[in-house]
Amino acid sequence: AVEKTHGVPPSLLAKYSPSSKSTWACLDGSKEIAWSAVNDDFCDCADGSDEPGTGACPNTRFYCANEGHIGALIASSRVNDGLCEPECCDGSDERPGVCKNTCKEVGAAYRAKQEAERKLRKTGSKIRASYITFAQKEKKRLEDVVATSAQEVATKQKEVDRLKDLVERTESLSLAALEHKKQSPLYQAMLKQHQVLKSLQREHEKHLEREKELGDILTNLRSGYNPNYQDMAVLEAVRGWEFLAGLPHINDVKKDEEATEEELGSDAVEEDDEEDGILSAEELEKELPAVLDTDYESLLIEHDRHIGSPSEESVLFDVSAYVPDALLPQFEAVKDSLLTWLKTFGIIKGGSQGGESADTSRAKQALSSAENDLRNAEREKSNAEQELSRLFDPKWFGREGEWKKLQGTCLEKNTGDYTYEVCLFGEAKQKPNNGGSTFSLGHFDRWNDAEGVEPGSPEAYGKQYYTRGTKCWNGPQRSVQLVWTCGTENAILSVQELEKCEYQFTGTTPALCLPPEDHERKREEL
Amino acid sequence: VKPEDFKTCSQAAFCRRGKALADRAGQNPDWKSPYSVDPSSLAISSDKAAFTAAVKSSLYPDIKFGLDVRVHHDGVVRVRMDEVDGKGKRYDETASWALLSEPQVSKDIQWTVGKKEVKATYGPKTDKVDVEITFDPLVVTLSRNGRSEVVLNGLGLLHMEHFRTKEEPKPAVEAVEGGEDAQTPMEVPEVHNPRSWFEGEEEDGYWEETWKSWTDSKPKGPQMLSIDISFPNHGHVYGIPQHATRLSLPTTSGQDFFYNEPYRLWNSDVFEYHADSTMSLYGSIPVMYAHSKESTVGVFNAIASDTFIDVAHPEPGSSYTHWISESGILDVFLLPGPKPADIFKQYTGLTGTQALPPQWSIAYHQCRWNYVSSDDVRSVQTRFDEEDMPVDVFWLDIEYAEEHKYFIWDKKNFPDPVDMVNDVSAVERKMVVIVDPHLKRVHSYPVYKEAQDLDVLAKVKDGQSEYEGWCWSGSSAWVDFFNPASWEWWKGLFKTVQSEPDKFAWIESTTDVHIWNDMNEPAIFNGPEISMPRDNIHYGGWEHRDLHNLNGMLFHNQTSQAVRARTDPPMRPFVLTRSFFAGSQRFGAMWTGDNLGTWEHMAVGMKMVLSLNIAGFAFSGSDVGGFFGNPEPEMLVRWYHVGAFTPFFRAHAHIDTKRREPYLLDEPYKSIVRDILRLRYAMLPIWYTAFHESSVNGMPVVRPHFVVFPEDEAGFAIDDQFFVGGSGLLVKPVTEKGATEAQVYLPEDQVYYDYFSGQTYRGSAKGKNVTVPAPLDKVPLLIRGGSILPTRERPRRSSPLMRRDPFTLTVALDKAGGARGELYLDDGESYAHEGGALVWREFTAARRGKATHVASADLAAAKPEAAVDGAALALYDKDNAFAAEVRAVRVEKLVVLGLEKKPGSVKLAGSELDWEFVPGVASGASKEGVASQLVVKNPVASITGDWEIVIQ
Repeated sequence: AVEKTHGVPPSLLAKYSPSSKSTWACLDGSKEIAWSAVNDDFCDCADGSDEPGTGACPNTRFYCANEGHIGALIASSRVNDGLCEPECCDGSDERPGVCKNTCKEVGAAYRAKQEAERKLRKTGSKIRASYITFAQKEKKRLEDVVATSAQEVATKQKEVDRLKDLVERTESLSLAALEHKKQSPLYQAMLKQHQVLKSLQREHEKHLEREKELGDILTNLRSGYNPNYQDMAVLEAVRGWEFLAGLPHINDVKKDEEATEEELGSDAVEEDDEEDGILSAEELEKELPAVLDTDYESLLIEHDRHIGSPSEESVLFDVSAYVPDALLPQFEAVKDSLLTWLKTFGIIKGGSQGGESADTSRAKQALSSAENDLRNAEREKSNAEQELSRLFDPKWFGREGEWKKLQGTCLEKNTGDYTYEVCLFGEAKQKPNNGGSTFSLGHFDRWNDAEGVEPGSPEAYGKQYYTRGTKCWNGPQRSVQLVWTCGTENAILSVQELEKCEYQFTGTTPALCLPPEDHERKREEL
Repeated sequence: VKPEDFKTCSQAAFCRRGKALADRAGQNPDWKSPYSVDPSSLAISSDKAAFTAAVKSSLYPDIKFGLDVRVHHDGVVRVRMDEVDGKGKRYDETASWALLSEPQVSKDIQWTVGKKEVKATYGPKTDKVDVEITFDPLVVTLSRNGRSEVVLNGLGLLHMEHFRTKEEPKPAVEAVEGGEDAQTPMEVPEVHNPRSWFEGEEEDGYWEETWKSWTDSKPKGPQMLSIDISFPNHGHVYGIPQHATRLSLPTTSGQDFFYNEPYRLWNSDVFEYHADSTMSLYGSIPVMYAHSKESTVGVFNAIASDTFIDVAHPEPGSSYTHWISESGILDVFLLPGPKPADIFKQYTGLTGTQALPPQWSIAYHQCRWNYVSSDDVRSVQTRFDEEDMPVDVFWLDIEYAEEHKYFIWDKKNFPDPVDMVNDVSAVERKMVVIVDPHLKRVHSYPVYKEAQDLDVLAKVKDGQSEYEGWCWSGSSAWVDFFNPASWEWWKGLFKTVQSEPDKFAWIESTTDVHIWNDMNEPAIFNGPEISMPRDNIHYGGWEHRDLHNLNGMLFHNQTSQAVRARTDPPMRPFVLTRSFFAGSQRFGAMWTGDNLGTWEHMAVGMKMVLSLNIAGFAFSGSDVGGFFGNPEPEMLVRWYHVGAFTPFFRAHAHIDTKRREPYLLDEPYKSIVRDILRLRYAMLPIWYTAFHESSVNGMPVVRPHFVVFPEDEAGFAIDDQFFVGGSGLLVKPVTEKGATEAQVYLPEDQVYYDYFSGQTYRGSAKGKNVTVPAPLDKVPLLIRGGSILPTRERPRRSSPLMRRDPFTLTVALDKAGGARGELYLDDGESYAHEGGALVWREFTAARRGKATHVASADLAAAKPEAAVDGAALALYDKDNAFAAEVRAVRVEKLVVLGLEKKPGSVKLAGSELDWEFVPGVASGASKEGVASQLVVKNPVASITGDWEIVIQ
């Protein structure tokens, strides 16, 4: 017979003793049974507590003491099943004589492994410490950047204010005349055309993008289509695309070269529609932005000058005509100082004929460029602020900033057909080794945030998600789960596509190597 | 489904001709079959119930046909007809592949020759069977006690298109270019074809047929075979799997037909097949049963060419069928019945019974297209173990193979295949790996190279050049398994040790790897109807059209033999096939192919499995969860219930689906599925016992109502609830979303117990529906009063680990206080049982006076002739090696449901046992409620011994 306390964990040992009447109460109190019924290989108690050592009650736990090693709990389904559980090196999970006691060796091996792991962790944690130092330096650097850029923003802001004032004043001078000219049907027509052109460009770009996407889809279809089911529609699409894109048929490996030759010969067809004055796609692409950037107001002014010959003066200089007589002296004074100013800043060329006509737009340009500078400075500042805020954010670079060092580090894994790349906190990609298009597997999205995972815990940092990559034509958007373990190097160890377009990378990084002491403590807390 | 990928009857010339023939017959009240027997040619064998005779067709007096009729020792009648001395030879080998062996012709039955007929009579007085062949016209009738049961050619649709010479078309009248008179047709005198009343005016598609982009050259010309088979006194017909339809076949012709297309048998890879259709699917078993209250009869039409079958009920209570085949001889077996158990015995007597599977293979299988690497396999195993969910087998689909070259591991993802398999077998689990019949046409692939060197690849119509088609592996060739030269070679491939130097052996495998055969219809992506051109040539010069439906079975057969032959002594192979034919049950298991993750498919899958079970192929199942799609948790849970009550229990999923291994489910679904898996494992002794019975006498493992209650008309069409073997378990899996209860039909005046709660339900002699609760975690599962169930209730990781576990016996008393049950056990993997290494027990409970006696007796000793399939044990040795091994396995618990009152004593051999009694409803009471329950603790020390417990 099995001992009554066989399989009982130390914490419950006290409860396994008979009453004075040689009975025993199930641990849940549901039933009083004979003491002899404990561990008699028959399940009497609803909670299974009467069979700690036989596996007769389902869903209970068996404790093996593993003297010389450490005790372990295993599921009752593994007790007396004929197999020696590795968790129970003392062999107590099976009938006597079935399993050898290997605790001495297992314990030794375990300790050696623990030690090796400890060492690895220690080395790793040193590197990790250097990452933390890096983060602290980064903090300083970023704070400096924020401070400097704040100053710059202030300076640039002043500059912008000043120029804005200048432009306003310039504009106010010419506003009336300008308004008048703007009534010109020509100007109105041009505005309309601009609007149309702009819309056309946007539509064009949309179509280009769409065409590229469709091309990608078809290219994927062509190389990846499943010839199962003999779907004629798919086949037709593939063939159609091959014809349109001048590709050889994917399955005609031998015909590859011939097809390429044919393709070369067919160039004439494409160039056929050259017509006088019609721009090629490339030219169009080059010209269009320039045309759209035209400053119609200056054009308007220049236009006047051009056709009206000297009949009308530059607005700026002719404003005097509109100024009430009483204010004329004042106006002249302002005008002079304004011109001097403009010349000083090189916005207009002193005295030259072109300069005088374009001063409004020049002022605007100066303002726009200053505004640009301001925006850049602001961006720099807000970027730095954002970086700073993420630096010790557990949802970004970790409470201690230990992941900051790895931002932008790109790791690769060649699996034969593809090289997988992940730029940490950036983008993951699949690059074919034998030609074909590279797909985005997604951008950094988050750490492991599954239910019950504490943000900022080692468990959370055990997994990174990169999501919203290129969409699969017959599946979801590609994505990556990157599973980290502690290691002394930053490396991707394996890549698997566990389900369609959902990849799992495994990798090692020192950033996950807590110092051994912390590691133990965290484990115990669990 | 893309119906346009597959032909309808009207798109196949032979079927058009057959259908037109039936139409003409239907419109002609004076219709008479032109076929007749020449009485003067009758030659009756002197010592056997066999005769031959010449048959003539009045249409073609010069063409000769031969008829051969024989009555087998078990009363089965075989009717064969072929063209004699014709210009060609019809395919006559179907039966030789389908039959287990040459049937024994009766020596006791005599033919009596009359003026107008020849006749044989046999059977007991109360069940007299007559087989009568009338001479003019030729009609074969099987009748019982004077009542017609099966009639061949009763409607005169028999037609065997004879071989003929192609007549060159008369030179067409060329239109003179530009000439006006080209418009006026030349006067051609109408030549009346005297045969047109029967054959029609036109030669419709005799010599060539184009469909979509394929042209079928028909060098042999027309050779259609048409035969009408009537069951004048049977209102239900079953069988002819595989079709996604009901068990009792709906009509396809006649008034108010249900389907507008005949049932078709042409093994096909149908993508996303429809859940309610007569379209052909992956396999064909041309056996049909006709059933009525009075009797069950059947026909097995041994034909392997494209066959369309119309079904009609001219009147309620009678059935008419019309079989139209593209080629082949007439070779029909009439199965006289009279009870379902008799026809199963008769049919499996011809084609063999379900091979007794290795026991682990009736446990749970986890599959997916694909587990992508050896580490993936390991982690799936780890997750199952962490969740303490039992599983026996992990599967690998096509992606394990480098470029889909089967046997060749993709080392990038499976660098250590043998270690991987060993890690799986460490917990006494197995792996099943796919091997398909298409071979990638690259010479660096040794399997292809060797097949080419041996010249065993299928040929195109010239009979010389290797056929090339497109499948998973791209440009591929197909082994012609009809070629005997391929057989030994194929066996060699599966050897796990290198025995012959320059030959491929699968040394990167172990004997714990078993095989999955897919795409063996054969599926060919760029072929007509996703298969092989009909004019391809196989060994012996036969055209593919002649033997298409056999193709899958031959591949399955050879693979099964190969796996069996890996070890010495041989071990039971497990080979799953998608394509099959009559006889495939001898080689392993099948599944219903690429089903969809819909409630409709879940429901029809069960019906298909029932249909397969009555057609001899008991080891069948559908993909749990549905192959395509992402089932919602509720659907997945219900599907696990369906799977747990299906002979073959495997979850599988398409590569585009989300992972759905049961451990990935959230609670409560995860725990429910864990319980379902454990329920299946607890019941493995019941399933294995049912498989044993099936392997011996052909009884289905899952049994529809008409099988168990052949006289209860209300049950004849029921196909959504069924019995597990002879155990008395009645299950009705829920296949509707949101259901919380189910209506279960009880066909008799008997008590049924809810398996989980012990709640009693009382049926009625007229049949009665009862409402059974069906929350998501409970499958409606009843125990028929009068049953004894042996189960093993301890959860384990895999089924072999249960071999030392004790049994629980649940005795569900019938109204009269009795019960009966069986348990069959053997080592579950070897053939030692054929030598008697087995344990077969019968448990009984009976009222004797005021006492109830529960006893165990040795069935193997009582019925050694029924203990093993095929070979009768001369004498059973109860101390055989296996029995010795399990002698220490005890009965840990005896539960008796429905005792009238608390017993005064429960004794075994005079000693009081340890027991408890919970009062409740008695089995014979008229009220319903929770049954009384007696639990006896540790009553019996050995499952192998005889014992009797007396409850006083």
